Amino acid sequence: MNIRKNVTAYFYVYKIRIQKSLAYHYDVYGNILMQCIIMFAAAFFWRALYAGETMVQGVEAEQMYIYTVVSTAMSVFFMNDVEQRVMRSVEKGTIAVEMLKPINLYGIFFFEDLGKLTALFCQNLIPILLIGSLFIAVPKPASGLAFLLFLVSLVMAYLIHWLLAACFSMWAFVTINMSPLLQVKKHLIRLLSGSIIPLWFFPDWLASVLNCLPFVYIYQLPLDIYIGKEEMSNILPRLGIQAIWVVVLFVLFSVLQKNALKKVMIQGG
Amino acid sequence: MLYGKKGQGEDMSVIEVKNLTKDYKINKKGKGLGGAVKNLFVREKTVVRAVKDLSFSIEKGEIVAFIGPNGAGKSTTVKMMSGILNPTGGQVLVNGKDVAKKRKEVVMDLGVVFGQRTQLNWDLRLGESFELLKRIYRIPDERYKENLKVMDEILGINEIIDIPVRQLSLGQRMRGDLVAAMLHSPSVLFLDEPTIGLDVEGKYAIRKFIKEINRVKGTTVILTTHDLGDIQELCERLIIINNGELMEDGPLREVTERIAPFKTLVVEFYDGEAPKHAKAELFYHEGNIAKYRFRKADITAAQLIDEIAQKQAIKDVSIEEASIDDIIRIAYQGSDDKI
Repeated sequence: MNIRKNVTAYFYVYKIRIQKSLAYHYDVYGNILMQCIIMFAAAFFWRALYAGETMVQGVEAEQMYIYTVVSTAMSVFFMNDVEQRVMRSVEKGTIAVEMLKPINLYGIFFFEDLGKLTALFCQNLIPILLIGSLFIAVPKPASGLAFLLFLVSLVMAYLIHWLLAACFSMWAFVTINMSPLLQVKKHLIRLLSGSIIPLWFFPDWLASVLNCLPFVYIYQLPLDIYIGKEEMSNILPRLGIQAIWVVVLFVLFSVLQKNALKKVMIQGG
Repeated sequence: MLYGKKGQGEDMSVIEVKNLTKDYKINKKGKGLGGAVKNLFVREKTVVRAVKDLSFSIEKGEIVAFIGPNGAGKSTTVKMMSGILNPTGGQVLVNGKDVAKKRKEVVMDLGVVFGQRTQLNWDLRLGESFELLKRIYRIPDERYKENLKVMDEILGINEIIDIPVRQLSLGQRMRGDLVAAMLHSPSVLFLDEPTIGLDVEGKYAIRKFIKEINRVKGTTVILTTHDLGDIQELCERLIIINNGELMEDGPLREVTERIAPFKTLVVEFYDGEAPKHAKAELFYHEGNIAKYRFRKADITAAQLIDEIAQKQAIKDVSIEEASIDDIIRIAYQGSDDKI
């Protein structure tokens, strides 16, 4: 993968994807509506849970509301198309030709997803934050430093999620229809990453299992940092583990990609 | 490039195919419910040999048609030649380089179009697809503009350049695909059924394009087709493949002479029975029209007409050469003395 040589192609893909995304309106409204429904449902749930209590598991109700709003806004970062794109190319039978272009196909998909994210940032993230602030809680971070570390963690969370999706997309080379698998994966991630219910409400044994998986580094860690649930001294080691996951998944992705190409070359695209 | 235009380095082939073989492994499916359950646990694989020991070479500037019935191994062969499929045995050299080993290098100099599968991005306008390819292949501005200009002259591509790919008609899309494959000025162009499903005008445009780029740029073109018009209009050379084996290879005329050395005499009588003839086969007879098929070596047309006229009064005659239809049919049947 030679990014420098192909930078103009990647940038073009990024730019075009922003343009295309801005042209579609209806998906955008649909997604805002859906995310807001989940956000409000979660907020009502926390209000019921905190009735009469000021603190549960060391977290105040206000922090929990912020957790909900920020978690919903973060979901915008995790709406990749890489799996669909690979699936479509395999179905169309053009994957072999595309993989042989003098550019990394997954690089193209990555920059497309970045373009989509950029468009969604204005179209979805800002509206969701506004609605959340008006009706649930103004999502102030625990501190300026916490916000900065949150951003670092969010970038790595994006990479972890994208690499997981890219690895998962390789299933398309093996199975005929992986749409059902995609649904399962999507909901598993939402559940196991602490996006709706934070890990500290899970039974201890389950929480410790989940801590060994990459999913908690998608939602839980950035959110913990944002609301100030985590001690500063604990944050850095966890960010380190998050970084290790990025590397591990990147290596896994590279190996799988090589094998996928080999498989295509033997069976025909 | 080591060798530029026609005339230089003619001894060196653009493409050399040596003992090319391809096996596919296919999962054997058990029959019925029992078989389906068994398949969940045990997978039996059968090996199918799609291409068997093919060898030939193609010179610079040739237009070569691969023909053969469905499943004959044409597409598999073209895929191996264009580097998107690894051979099980043998090798393909493009400009002297082994495709399977130096794939990335070789592919820069190849253009590939698969008629039924567009490589254009559905979401983009045609022009945007071209712009992306320009950046992927790092085509210099000047060359890009010049190439587009040439393509516009031949295919009128500028008319459709602002239309999103998903809205293009099949013919327009095919034109787009051809331009996309030629933007980086490859010296070899592979076309897998480029005229499939196109109307008369569409086919005409595609054929004109192939002829023009071959003439102007000296591009070597390898195509597979079922369309007889394609072969008649484009190809000096024909390679017939059946059951993964090379059946015939040579100029259209030679192949015709070899496998269909007969003519057809169409006779219209005033009335009555068409007389049989010992050296010609009466293969069609309806009303007053009769058709005789005869080998040029056995009898001349004049003699045949004369002998038939002696038995029955003739109103009109015409002579047909073996059509390309016949040639292909005979080749597919795999027997050349079917007359």
